[in-house]
Amino acid sequence: METDDEPTTSQALPTERAKATPGLSDPERWVELYGDFLFKYAIMRLRDPANAEDAVQETFLAALKGREAFAGRSAEKSWLVGILKNKICDHYRRASRETSFTDLEFYSDEESSRFVAEGALKGAWIHELGPREWPNPGESLDNEKFWQAYRDCCGKLPKNVAAVFNLREVDDLDSKGICGMLDISENNLWVMLHRARMALRRCLETNWFGKGGEAL
Amino acid sequence: MRWFSRLAGALGALSPTCKRATRLQSEAMDRRLSFLEKLGLRLHLFLCKWCRRYGAQLKFLRSAARECEEHGSRQEPQTLSPEARERIKHTLQSGQD
Repeated sequence: METDDEPTTSQALPTERAKATPGLSDPERWVELYGDFLFKYAIMRLRDPANAEDAVQETFLAALKGREAFAGRSAEKSWLVGILKNKICDHYRRASRETSFTDLEFYSDEESSRFVAEGALKGAWIHELGPREWPNPGESLDNEKFWQAYRDCCGKLPKNVAAVFNLREVDDLDSKGICGMLDISENNLWVMLHRARMALRRCLETNWFGKGGEAL
Repeated sequence: MRWFSRLAGALGALSPTCKRATRLQSEAMDRRLSFLEKLGLRLHLFLCKWCRRYGAQLKFLRSAARECEEHGSRQEPQTLSPEARERIKHTLQSGQD
């Protein structure tokens, strides 16, 4: 506790109170101290600069409101990251309410045309339309042009589907974690991931491997 | 050889269709398959080169996705833009007053 020089002002101004909160730096310096760190954390998970900026701003505002409760229980930085995580979850929850994660046209089973429709072989690949052999996929990973094709293909996925795919494959969150975050059922998630992989696979086959990618 | 054709028939019934196998191969990357699902899928993959390819390509997609961070980061800014920085500072200031 700092010594109070003026015992009469029991209603201190917010800034003064902030300075008195142990372990917490002046909110005016937060942007300089943590702005870029939080932004980087957010953009990795949101994949959109504007949304990431909003999340950082909301985090600071929430921190400003809640700093009474901070009381130096954890390091300032991890306290802010904790708030940011909640803001990112909020974002995904909002997004899942707005454009539903489930009923996009994307889910109309477009790949069905690649399987035999009826008869004894129903559900088998139609051979001409089945997966092609990919020549040296490993080498593609060293090719900048491959990554251009990869990003283009990811860009063609509906935004929410791409976000789910990235949460699973890039951030390596497990099914339960993602479902809790987005408030969807596991079965729903698995269908989304299945469709995302199917679409990405086909897109890369058409736009990269089918064009003799590694030779480009 | 009737027992043989019966066995083949039973095994065939266990094996999923290619369409179902694509879904199972994807789900195997996200959850534990049941014993019967696993058995059916193994059997199917043993018989079907298309689905073996499909599975290998899904694994490739996963490894690509894990690396894409390094190759995609140039697309996305890694720091707050000066405008955003000012805007947030301003909001914080007015939030304090």
